[in-house]
Amino acid sequence: MKRSASLSLAAAVAVAVPLAAPAANTIKVGYPMILSGPGALFGEPSLKGAQMYVDEVNAKGGVLGKKIQLIGRDTKGNADEAVRVVRDMILRDDVQFVVGTLTSAEGPAVSPIAKENKIVFIAPITKTDQLTAPENLHPYVFRSASTTTIEGRSAAEIMAKWGVKRVGTMSPDYAYGQDATKAFVEHLKRIKPDVEIVDQQWPKLGEADYTPFINAQMGKKPDAVFSSLWGGHFVTFAKQAVPLGYFKSLNHNFVGAGEAGSIESAKAMGPDYPVGIWSNTYDVFDWPAGPPAHKEYIARLKTYTKQEFPSSWPITGYISMQFLVEGIRKANSTDSDKVAKALLDLTIDTPIGKQTMRAKDHQANRGQFWGQMKMDPKYPFAVMDKLTYIDPAPFMD
Amino acid sequence: MRRIPWTLLVFAAAFAIPWLGSRFYTFIATDVAILALFALSLNLLLGYTGLVSFGHAAYFGIGAYTSAIFMKTLGLPFWLGFPAAGVAAGLFALVFGCFCVRLTKIYFAMLTLAFAQIVWAICFKWNAVTGGEQGMPNVPYPDLDWIGAIPGLDGFRVGDRFYFLTLVLVALAIVALRRIVHSPFGRVLAVIRENPERAEFIGIDVRRYQLAAFAVAGVFAGLAGALFGIFNRGVFPDFAYWTKSAEVLIMTILGGMGHFWGPAVGAAALTILNLQITAYTQYWPLILGTILIVLLFAFPGGLVGTSVDLFRRVRRGRDAGRP
Repeated sequence: MKRSASLSLAAAVAVAVPLAAPAANTIKVGYPMILSGPGALFGEPSLKGAQMYVDEVNAKGGVLGKKIQLIGRDTKGNADEAVRVVRDMILRDDVQFVVGTLTSAEGPAVSPIAKENKIVFIAPITKTDQLTAPENLHPYVFRSASTTTIEGRSAAEIMAKWGVKRVGTMSPDYAYGQDATKAFVEHLKRIKPDVEIVDQQWPKLGEADYTPFINAQMGKKPDAVFSSLWGGHFVTFAKQAVPLGYFKSLNHNFVGAGEAGSIESAKAMGPDYPVGIWSNTYDVFDWPAGPPAHKEYIARLKTYTKQEFPSSWPITGYISMQFLVEGIRKANSTDSDKVAKALLDLTIDTPIGKQTMRAKDHQANRGQFWGQMKMDPKYPFAVMDKLTYIDPAPFMD
Repeated sequence: MRRIPWTLLVFAAAFAIPWLGSRFYTFIATDVAILALFALSLNLLLGYTGLVSFGHAAYFGIGAYTSAIFMKTLGLPFWLGFPAAGVAAGLFALVFGCFCVRLTKIYFAMLTLAFAQIVWAICFKWNAVTGGEQGMPNVPYPDLDWIGAIPGLDGFRVGDRFYFLTLVLVALAIVALRRIVHSPFGRVLAVIRENPERAEFIGIDVRRYQLAAFAVAGVFAGLAGALFGIFNRGVFPDFAYWTKSAEVLIMTILGGMGHFWGPAVGAAALTILNLQITAYTQYWPLILGTILIVLLFAFPGGLVGTSVDLFRRVRRGRDAGRP
């Protein structure tokens, strides 16, 4: 008993040693992100995008004469760990701002920590409406990501033009899937009242065998289907659906939200991609109609990441950091309260055009790229045709 | 040898931490205090009764969710939610334990794991009550204004106040645990650990005692969970996941299960190591694995067991030199 007591004292002293003195001339920004496991496929490039922007700002002398130091930490894709990491960064590394988190569980879990510590928190990827819903909104939480409402409604806008009557849905059975699907169904019924929802399938998140869901849905004979199976879940689903003739039976009238059209998913499926379907992505490396700023951004990204076809995720980190830095610049201060106020109704020029952080719900008018997937002989994977950036401003409320 | 009241000294030192003025120290100290209670509750099974549970996090999770549901969903005060967490965790431990104690050794361990995974799956899927995969963020702090009203404790931040509350509750729980292991009931548990067959022969109902130990351990794990949910500002399904069970098992073994305070030291060592190392590298599991291997081969008694041994050897050597 005696030893143990002195041991724990010794341990307590050991913690005291590595506390570093905060450097006065840097602005520390914590970037909690999934950096290990399957989610790292999206988390790593997002951090890279943020780092690229930070390097660019620092190369020009920083902001308010201060350099930005980005501290990336692994959340392992779980909310518990995200909370832990964020509190650790706030308490020990003295980060002044937090930008990051990926899943719809991590974002809402970190938000109260930001509120308690009065630290501005910008979510670059988390889409769930709950993050900035009126009951959860507080002065320090902001989102530069899209939302489930925006995503569902954008998909409804696309499908409304097809003249289909019988519509089905195929979405994972958890918050993100349910919210996006609900937004889609409600908006579609509003703009096309004659549409009938004939079938809704809810496979569980991470389902390995989609066959029963696919067969059940084909039995209901929908004309078109909306899906929010995201990332690798869409890849698994599509690989099983193609041999069953699922996409053919729909005449390829399928909208896959959840970045099913991102270069990551397209690469994962290669020549097996169900071309002809519609989908979305945060970014494309080739946007022929895009502004020069986007072309320059892609060129810089190619050099920075040394990738010929860069990922579609760095833009999430890039824009979120851009909001933060422009906010600091406008506030002319690194004080969290002042920056939080400066971010309200702040409009910035991003590589994908102007983005505004709305004062009323702390939400950017962040749309996504939508298009019809096709094969292009130039690339070994499917790319987007009829590419459009859908600005959500008209239907965000 | 003079008797120095080490436990009191440690408690006093721990109580003084908020006066250092660093939110980070208070943060670590709260974390350590809660996890120490969690690890000590497991040791009632592991070290005292000789039952290896791979699913102790289930009761931690049940406690956390119970208090979160009481305080967030129902808006009830902490002094209802906290005991309720212990009661709920104890009841679940009683029910699951009924099945588990019918088996022995590895089968017992596997069954505890199975029940824990069921608890985790329910927390993960039952969206309406547990918030599903997203958990329940933003569990409110209990009303701590009365702590500020105590002379000498005014002017502290809410995190510091919660630490005072945690420290006192954890200390009370540890006192209770210590009385239990030193009671006749605790002695019977030790008999069962040493030789269950013999215990059976002398008329001890081994299963009933094991079940009682299982339920009591569950109660204390639940209390730890309730505190942790508030400290963590949210309750998540991973609280009941098997990795959490493994973590507390590692804490107990790291500190030394043959000693009452072993698991508490293990909890402190592991938490602090984790915090220090994850700030520099993502390869924490690799380092943890290495530490465990060294520990199991070189210091099978854990940190406390090894240092107690060393201390005795030094003293014996010194005594031997005397005339």
